[in-house]
Amino acid sequence: MINLLNGISDTTSALNAERTRMDVISQNIANVNTARDIDGRPFQRRQVVFETVLNQQQALAGAGTGETGVRVARIEKDQRPPRLVFDPGHPNADENGIVAMPNINIHEEMADLIVASRAFEANLAVVRNARAMAVQTLMIGKH
Amino acid sequence: MSPLSALRSASAPDFRILSLPKAAVTSGQAISYRELETIGNLPPATAPPPSAKAGAAGGSFESTLGQMVADVNGRQAAASETAAALLSGQNVPLHQAMIAMEEASVSFQLMVEVRNRLLESYQELMRMQV
Repeated sequence: MINLLNGISDTTSALNAERTRMDVISQNIANVNTARDIDGRPFQRRQVVFETVLNQQQALAGAGTGETGVRVARIEKDQRPPRLVFDPGHPNADENGIVAMPNINIHEEMADLIVASRAFEANLAVVRNARAMAVQTLMIGKH
Repeated sequence: MSPLSALRSASAPDFRILSLPKAAVTSGQAISYRELETIGNLPPATAPPPSAKAGAAGGSFESTLGQMVADVNGRQAAASETAAALLSGQNVPLHQAMIAMEEASVSFQLMVEVRNRLLESYQELMRMQV
């Protein structure tokens, strides 16, 4: 298979990873007021952990360029303590009227969302540039 | 020597011109014409002999070309498949479909360019005065 857009597979993996990060952030924002998770405890903030992965095709071809992509290694729960809110009317309130709410800080999530969005944008710029370079190279010898 | 052999060495960055004789650079003297001439006469370091290249490919140019057309076709098929999967609501990321379509488009452009050059050289030959 001819390889026209070099390094595009790494960029694709990065785009996939950033998409997952955005999904996780949107999940956090959606659950900012969820007092009960599936396990019965207050919702815990999720965060993605990225890891480098060697491009399989490149490694098999023995190209030795060391092209590496990125993937989501795991999605971890944030172990910070829950936010304690005084709300005696809440069905999940304890005898003192305290409700344990998720340990999500909406400002933090918004900042993370901006970071993920910008990282996605940067990878898209790489795709755009790779394409422009390929097209310009095909113009060699014209006029 | 074919006039295109110069192009072959241009396909890889050639920094030989930067490695001028050290003595001339450090002493601040002008480089003599003789020295420049020897630099120019160095064989292109990156261009392998054409025969070795054809032998390594292990097939005729025709089969290489056929393989390339099949490759481009495969890319087009993959791109339309990804787009169809995206449009039918399967879990395909948007960027993956876009990149597949871009790859198909660029490889098609490459194929058209190769075809144009081949036709050009054929017409050049047909115009040749005997």
